Amino acid sequence: MRQGGNKNKAFSLKTRLKRLKRDSNRWSVFTLAIVLFLALPIVFIGVELFSGPGETWGHIVEYLLPDYIWNSLYLVFFCSILVLVLGVSSAWFVSRFDFLFRKQMEWLLILPLAIPSYIVGYAYAGIFDYGGSMDLIFRQLNLDFVRIDIMNRAGLAFVLSISLFPYVYVSARAFFLNQANNLLEASKMLGVGEAKTFFKLMLPLARPAIVAGLVLVLMEVLNDYGAAKYYGVNTFTTGIFRSWFSLEEPQTAVYLSALLILIIFALILFEKWQVRKVKFTSAKSNSTQIQRKEPKGAIKWGIFSVVLLPILLGFILPVAQLIYWAILTASTVFDFRFIVLSLQSFGIAITSAIITVFFALLLIYFSKWSALRFIKNVARVGVLGYAIPGAVIAIGIMIPTLALDKWLIKMLGNFGIDSGLIINGTLIALFYAYAVRFLAVAYNPIDSTALKVDNSIPDSSKVLGVGNLKTFFKIEFPLIKTGVFSAVILVFIDVMKELPLTLILKPYHVDTLAVKAFEYASDEMVMEASIPSLFIIFTAMIPVIFLNKLLIKK
Amino acid sequence: MLTIDSLSKSFDKGKNYAIEDVTFNLMAGHVCAIVGESGSGKTTLVRLIAGLERPDHGSIAMDGKVIASLNKFVQPEKRKIGLVFQEYALFPHLTILDNILYGISKVKHKKQRAQDMLDLVGLDDMGSRYPHQLSGGQQQRVALARALAPEPSLLILDEPFSNLDTMLRTQLRNEVFDIIKKTEVTVLFVTHDTQDALSVADEILILQNGKVIQKDVASNLYVKPSTLYVASLFGSTVHINKNLQNAFRCPLKETCCHAIRNEKIKVNPSPDDFDCEYLTTAQVIKKIELGDSIQLLLKLESGEQLTVMTQDKNIADTINIGFNSKDILEFDQEQES
Repeated sequence: MRQGGNKNKAFSLKTRLKRLKRDSNRWSVFTLAIVLFLALPIVFIGVELFSGPGETWGHIVEYLLPDYIWNSLYLVFFCSILVLVLGVSSAWFVSRFDFLFRKQMEWLLILPLAIPSYIVGYAYAGIFDYGGSMDLIFRQLNLDFVRIDIMNRAGLAFVLSISLFPYVYVSARAFFLNQANNLLEASKMLGVGEAKTFFKLMLPLARPAIVAGLVLVLMEVLNDYGAAKYYGVNTFTTGIFRSWFSLEEPQTAVYLSALLILIIFALILFEKWQVRKVKFTSAKSNSTQIQRKEPKGAIKWGIFSVVLLPILLGFILPVAQLIYWAILTASTVFDFRFIVLSLQSFGIAITSAIITVFFALLLIYFSKWSALRFIKNVARVGVLGYAIPGAVIAIGIMIPTLALDKWLIKMLGNFGIDSGLIINGTLIALFYAYAVRFLAVAYNPIDSTALKVDNSIPDSSKVLGVGNLKTFFKIEFPLIKTGVFSAVILVFIDVMKELPLTLILKPYHVDTLAVKAFEYASDEMVMEASIPSLFIIFTAMIPVIFLNKLLIKK
Repeated sequence: MLTIDSLSKSFDKGKNYAIEDVTFNLMAGHVCAIVGESGSGKTTLVRLIAGLERPDHGSIAMDGKVIASLNKFVQPEKRKIGLVFQEYALFPHLTILDNILYGISKVKHKKQRAQDMLDLVGLDDMGSRYPHQLSGGQQQRVALARALAPEPSLLILDEPFSNLDTMLRTQLRNEVFDIIKKTEVTVLFVTHDTQDALSVADEILILQNGKVIQKDVASNLYVKPSTLYVASLFGSTVHINKNLQNAFRCPLKETCCHAIRNEKIKVNPSPDDFDCEYLTTAQVIKKIELGDSIQLLLKLESGEQLTVMTQDKNIADTINIGFNSKDILEFDQEQES
């Protein structure tokens, strides 16, 4: 009846435009500007596609592209199977059963994340090498004839899976611990057995959580350069490196990057589709925790070994191998130059972590202060860099900054200033790239802590006559400090471990521990790579344990 | 002092309206209660007034100045409105005193003012404590003191008592409004509890599905509710449909909708009770003893069921019930549809 008049008027184009004018403020503009700034590398890849492919593109399509695609699919397929088996089984066993060292193993299972995949790769190469640890053991057992060659596609899939499965483990365990209890009890009351409960109830319910973890793993698989390069497997990332450095064909690198982005977006769409299809999991976490069963006898030891195996393979074995090498090479590697290198690496990581967290804070709060509702979604676009492989981001930054630098040199040359490269090959480009790549790492913990602060808190500050900025510094920042702190640490670890992006964008005279380890390994000095590797692992380990504490608290 | 004109707000681009075409005035110095069920748009309405949401249509003016419309939006921090949130929203990392000082940093003698506010709410020795060290009722009073400290021209209380248990609630309600009366501030008071509204408000505004159903002084709402819904908010009510009209042999206007309050239906009226014009017999299906009174579930010959209250302990299986024509509530048919 009365619906006619104002209802139609309120959403007519004219009133919408009036509201758009009323609600656009500087925060909306700032948010858009930041998102655009962060999206530039990807935009440039898109723009560069129009310049046409390079000379070697035809050659690549004919001889190498099938290899890239086939290898990437192979890795995606076998890594998916392996990480699902390892991640989901260990998550289920530690959440459902109580056994020897269960509590310790719960966080030990996360530790493989502290070791970058390429370092796990170096360690396993050493373990299975001729004259390596395995060889020695086989000789002791008079099994000289047994030789396992892992320097191939299958070996790479194993190495990537064993270092990345914790992503699936963490998200599956979070689901089992927080959401599963009353369903589990209901199933028990209905007299359904353990195995059937798991396969018919828990697994389907946990699927969105598991898929979310799996997609993270696959993004890392496609991002990997160091391990694939060392194992001699041609993938998209090694292809990008080859066209950039060996063939010196930026256009070919751009085309490969664009293809890789398409694959990643297919993955993201797959995740969205999976999560949308299964919407029955409630966002609310259950207050009661799972009552753990205490298995007896053979079952107990069976479960113990199943959970121990990934820890052994993903952490203990590779670290043991690295420590062994470190003892052998300490005298040649560990010197004053190495200490300088480590400090440099820490410095780069901490600076970029702070810059990245700063951007994340700007995005989160500017979009909140913008009165336009769609700006919040726009802000989330700025986070997508995490899905884009480091090598692709590096190419997307390299091309426009080279052009910009050429222009700047010319402009400044007019004034008689010989500036040299200002952005390209300097730390500015590197910090910018880290911010693009790792924004999500900073954004998510800050955003989730910010969500825990009830809106009425900043609202009441505003009603009391205090503006947005002052409210942020006096009220909101003190309340989200822990989130900001853990964001800094998380980005710090990721930058410490980062390889492909750093290799392309780092200034000539600057090195990081990751780059040093890669260089040693590439120069047939994989034993020497152990000390920088262990440095990375130990710096990453402490916060991983800290992060796990946060997860358990949740 | 507050003028709201055809205010609308939708959170899904016009599919559903949280607030639809709301128009009303509020006089300076009055206490107005906004009553409605959860989801009726009460909180959205006060958030619009406070400037925490932006209207999709219509306007809000205070003391003759537009503070929100399609072309204009005054930021919440510039509106001089005090707001006490349902969950109090005290700043957890600041002491009680600092919480109160927060909104008056530019005021002269702010320390004295803050202390005065603490005295006013009876928490003069609690200034150095932190919010989590206080009870719910004390936090409530701090929130009130904090909102009153900057001397707002309008004070909004959003469901201030809903987090408290019944005993504490009545006591605190009286305390809070005693404090408010002393300050002579204009008050908008949001509640889903009609008891709260009736006990403190000069006038009451009823919201249903985002629309204003009725705005009137409290006594009128009981006697002259504009719809059956409003009538039932202020006490359980029976809709006198065709069957009941036949049972009681009371023909009523067909163009209108009628109802009677359960408490106005008399059980076993004495034969010489001339007040009871319309009578019928009913079968008692169930008796529920509620302390000093008894609730009866009745079934009429036509099959209709009714509940009535009585003090009479001697109830036969079949009883007489009746009511008086002056107690019949009459509404427009159209408003009910």
